[in-house]
Amino acid sequence: MIDTSVELAGVTLPNPVLPASGTYEVAEVHAGFFSPSELGAVINKTIFMNPRPGNPPPRIWETPCGMLNAIGIPSEGLERFLADQLPRLRSLGPPVIVSIAGNSIQDWRDLAAAIDRSGSADMIELDLSCPNLEKGFIWAADEAALRRVVTSVVKVTRLPVISKLSPNVRDISEMAVIAERAGTAVVSMINSYQGMAIDIGTRKPILGNITGGLTGPAIRPLAIHGVFTTFKKITVPIIGMGGIATWQNAVEFLLAGATAVAVGTQNFVNPLTMKEVIEGIAGYVEEAGFSSVRDIVGLAQE
Amino acid sequence: MLPRPFDIMQADPREQTLRLFVKVEGRGTALLKSLKPGTEVKITGPLGRPIENFSCSSMAFLVRGAGAAAVVHLAEAAGARGIAVYTILSASAASRIVCRKYLEPVSTELLIATDDGSEGYEGLASDLLGDLLRRKTVDRVYTCGSRRFARYVQRLDREGRINGFVFLEGLMACGMGDCHGCAVPKNGQRGYFLVCRDGPHFPIAEVVL
Repeated sequence: MIDTSVELAGVTLPNPVLPASGTYEVAEVHAGFFSPSELGAVINKTIFMNPRPGNPPPRIWETPCGMLNAIGIPSEGLERFLADQLPRLRSLGPPVIVSIAGNSIQDWRDLAAAIDRSGSADMIELDLSCPNLEKGFIWAADEAALRRVVTSVVKVTRLPVISKLSPNVRDISEMAVIAERAGTAVVSMINSYQGMAIDIGTRKPILGNITGGLTGPAIRPLAIHGVFTTFKKITVPIIGMGGIATWQNAVEFLLAGATAVAVGTQNFVNPLTMKEVIEGIAGYVEEAGFSSVRDIVGLAQE
Repeated sequence: MLPRPFDIMQADPREQTLRLFVKVEGRGTALLKSLKPGTEVKITGPLGRPIENFSCSSMAFLVRGAGAAAVVHLAEAAGARGIAVYTILSASAASRIVCRKYLEPVSTELLIATDDGSEGYEGLASDLLGDLLRRKTVDRVYTCGSRRFARYVQRLDREGRINGFVFLEGLMACGMGDCHGCAVPKNGQRGYFLVCRDGPHFPIAEVVL
């Protein structure tokens, strides 16, 4: 039996597989597939301070080997999240990562402090990189903004902070360095690429939000490149994601240097994906003669 | 790459079969059409909110084109419970009328309207519904396949003449409430329903059409 556990900033995950924020909800409809307690960690759809309705439809559009989305993060707001969703996530067993996003530095600080005080989270992920918000501002695409948010948040919480980085930058590895210097304990990469599609019949953008974020296997080689080039430059661990559809894809991320991996779009295609990825990684590690999943992290770097 | 949502038109637990209606619209449905008999496909379902309340004595269906497929299962279930079923099929032409052979046996009355007059009434099927409501007592009206008809049914519902319901579609990636793609604006309040999780049928007063 191999050891499937991995460690992120002192938090032990029973296995390296988690959902990408906003792609998997703990709900009864999933009961027939697998239990969320089998995951390496659980994470919520990003919460904001106040309730948000999300963007007008159409919100998604399929593209070759991928999809565009402009959901706009509908959110119940912090209060409801603390009362309903967070206790449910806590009760499942795996470490709880709470994904937050602010509209101002004050928001980021207040949210992080509230999550810390709840005592029900193991880590906080800063969603610095959603490309679909009304003002269109991507915190992680601006060096100063990224530095300010991370610096501010780490002052108000003792929980390890994960910075979710955007690929919509010149060099994501440089943004990871900035996040590390500002005090992040983990980086997760990559969020979606900005993209859009136009209906040649109506001659108008297809998405209600005009622009969206591209995810799915189409972006996987770009994500692997991001993880591979970042690994050499930072010492904090990486959660790798971007188009993981199979366990083989997940192994690729681990070999590139990710300590854990997140499955996003493929959860929509096949609700069993994460379970298959967990089992597939373990099988690969065992067959290759290693004793721990940790043994293969970054092997492609050598 | 993404799965596609379909109505279950008929389900036969004894024979272990499902009948789906697929209208070829794009590449995904074209690929489905090209499958050879015996090919295995993966289906996730049933998903969505089932209709469980049959406490009424009559239902009318105002459906256009492929929208007819959405109500076959409901019409059969209603007919089996002794509920009077009035079906109004609308299409651009006679050749575009679908699901008639499934709806006819369970309908107390089946009416047809075509835009070109190639079969039945030449004109708007909503005229036929208006006429039906003058002749018969109808507790509920379900509509699918036409925004125009849906707005008409919504108006009748607002006027208190019927209880209206609409079957909606939405671009969806997961069908399970995870992706939040298939959003439909709520009427009279902020926010959205999800077609996959909260629908696909909605009390017509509750949605913005």
